[in-house]
Amino acid sequence: MSRVTKTLVGAAPHIHAKQSTASLAWGSSLLLVPAFLWGLYCFKLAAVLPVVAAISAAILGELLIGLARKAFTLGDGTAFLTGLLVGLSMPPGVPLQVPILSALFAICLIKGAFGGLGANWMNPALAGVVFALLNWPAEMGTWKWPSHLTGVVGVSGASPLGFVHSKFATEAGGGDALSLLGASGFSFSGLDRSITAFLNNDLLGHLGVSLPSGYMDILIGNKAGAIGELSGLLLLAASIVLIARRIIRWEIPASIFASFAVLVWIFGGIPFGNGYFSGDILFEVLSGSFILVSFFMATDPVTSPSTPGGRILYGLAIGGLTFIIRRFGSGAEGVAFAVVIMNCFVPAIGKLELAGRINRTETLHE
Amino acid sequence: MSHLLTFRYGGLVLEDKRSWPVFVPIANAFLPTQALVLLKQHQGRASRCVVRVGDLVREGALIGKADEGGAAAIHAPVPGIVKDIRPVRVSAGGPCSAVEILLQGNFDRLGKREERYIWTSMSRTDMIQTLRERGVVEMDEPGRPIVDMLASRKSPPILLLNCIESEPYLRTENAVLHECLKAVLEGLAILNRLLEPARTIVALEPHQEKELGEERLRVLSGIEAPVELIRARQKYPQDLPNQLLAAINGGRKKQGIGELFIIRPSTALAIYEAIVLAKPVIERFVTIAGGSIKHPAVLKARIGTPIGDLVEECGGFLGQPEKILLGGPLRGQPVHDLDAPLTKQTGAVLALTSEETNRSSKVACIRCGRCADVCPERLLPVEIYRRLDKNRTEDAHAIGLSSCTLCGACGYSCPSRLALVEAFATGQAARELRR
Repeated sequence: MSRVTKTLVGAAPHIHAKQSTASLAWGSSLLLVPAFLWGLYCFKLAAVLPVVAAISAAILGELLIGLARKAFTLGDGTAFLTGLLVGLSMPPGVPLQVPILSALFAICLIKGAFGGLGANWMNPALAGVVFALLNWPAEMGTWKWPSHLTGVVGVSGASPLGFVHSKFATEAGGGDALSLLGASGFSFSGLDRSITAFLNNDLLGHLGVSLPSGYMDILIGNKAGAIGELSGLLLLAASIVLIARRIIRWEIPASIFASFAVLVWIFGGIPFGNGYFSGDILFEVLSGSFILVSFFMATDPVTSPSTPGGRILYGLAIGGLTFIIRRFGSGAEGVAFAVVIMNCFVPAIGKLELAGRINRTETLHE
Repeated sequence: MSHLLTFRYGGLVLEDKRSWPVFVPIANAFLPTQALVLLKQHQGRASRCVVRVGDLVREGALIGKADEGGAAAIHAPVPGIVKDIRPVRVSAGGPCSAVEILLQGNFDRLGKREERYIWTSMSRTDMIQTLRERGVVEMDEPGRPIVDMLASRKSPPILLLNCIESEPYLRTENAVLHECLKAVLEGLAILNRLLEPARTIVALEPHQEKELGEERLRVLSGIEAPVELIRARQKYPQDLPNQLLAAINGGRKKQGIGELFIIRPSTALAIYEAIVLAKPVIERFVTIAGGSIKHPAVLKARIGTPIGDLVEECGGFLGQPEKILLGGPLRGQPVHDLDAPLTKQTGAVLALTSEETNRSSKVACIRCGRCADVCPERLLPVEIYRRLDKNRTEDAHAIGLSSCTLCGACGYSCPSRLALVEAFATGQAARELRR
């Protein structure tokens, strides 16, 4: 039996699930590629540079921190993912110091200074985005139109969400989000017109409802917005894979959506001069960073609760906060702030989770 | 009757049951030319050696005497000359005394017609004495002597024949049922007589049902005791006591249904052989499997056979195994080399490839909660681990460390490959020491 030279004698269990921390991070990154490619199609070089800058800065930051601790940690994929998420949250053509400094802030201060992977209590990518929003509000609010809509690269314009919310203060009594956009000269694409017409004539018409123009553009990503946040459709498709491959759990995005949608439905119509129960859930959910943040960032395991119950509580709170911040905050965006705020409450939720488990375990073992 | 029972919280659905044939070839292994018989093949301390180097021993002769509770008699699995008595190191833990026997001389049992003893007329005291003398212990971990288990029960228990092998690769109990069903059921009937249980239950996996045949199981032949069948879903760790109890109770553990007296078919077979055939425990069925084994099989082999011989009989290795285990891949013990001998508790010898182990280097905990999802005891392994990591053993116990059964579901699921089970075992041992 001399053929067996050396076998391992590590402790049980001796087999493991295929998933590793690195495969989770690299898997998430891979699933963000379609959204990035859409950004690339819309904005060309203006989409590439911020993303490359953010990823490079994140990798550099991780290397520097690793050097200080004598550990090479790029392989776990989390620094790359953080950089990618920061980059995708940037407006196209943003001055490059914004993604670079934000990614360095995320990796070196939020993650590295607290002890690296697993020890940070705030999601590094979101902290980086919030850092950018606070420091460069003007640059972070300057949007471009996709080049295939205008025919020219670099035509700037307002994002639908930003535009609609800016009208809250000045023009009350204007119907709804889509008609506000229409009336202000937002032109919807031919694709939107044909899909909407198809849906209204062949499907929804039979049910006695009709979809106004504009939603399809917002869903597909024919709009001004951040590089990776344009196409809700592609992000949702990737999210299905995220959940099916068990990279993330469904509880957090589902509960964020649930509480946010209910609040929008009840109160969302008021700023437009409409009554209760008239909010436009579809518009609010498909706009801004809602989908990217709820599926890819709020679900960061390190900074979210560890049990299903805890995750639902966490998600419900994020949805509620997002509504409040979007409604009353100075900027249009809210979900990033909401998640960062709830990150601070994860330890408190952890105490609840533990108490719940211990009580229940005791009754089980009597 | 198609309703499958299981426990409610956590657990793993492992792929093995689909990818691996339920039945593998069953064969008799060759006799070892040199048998290495450990003097500790039970939960308690090692038995006292009663032979000397140079002694001629007969097949089944007593070589280790049990002087205290927890220990069991050890017998010579083959006839021969005692070549050496020396401490050997097997898997984890300290060295253990072992008797090395060089095969020689005549067999008293092999090839002879077996004499049958009628146990129904034996007294209870005689039966217990026989079980003690024949060295009958649990044929899996922790290996409690059957007589100790009988002595320690308080109220009429539920007698449960546990045929479920919820760890991947293991097909030993399947083979025992397939080969020796009548003997197993007779062993169960003997226990039924000794225990006078409140209920007698056979817990099965769905595919084993055909093997048993329903009409055969309504009553145990000979004593006419009724038997209940529990069909369990294939979920790990269904074969552990708490999860068996939960399955019986429809999901949750409840108090007041009495204690379980659980035995494996292998153990029932040993009880049958000790009482009916007057045979000590000198052989057992063992699964030889894993991606590195050329022709996986279940072998009936003598105790003390080096596991290397068993691997050779299965065609040897395919490539370099990454880990060699005694027992299942979730709760088994790794061994250093192939000289480790077969013991009464060795249900399997596995040689796993790196594709099977999916090992990767440990990284920091990302608090993903997968361990909490799969914990069948509904603990929060991540929180227990964090406390142990900071040497806060008492805090870890306060949040349930003592309820951990070391099943390894958390360690299997952990994407950061933290040594959760190792930490929990150490934490439990630390508290034991202080007491």
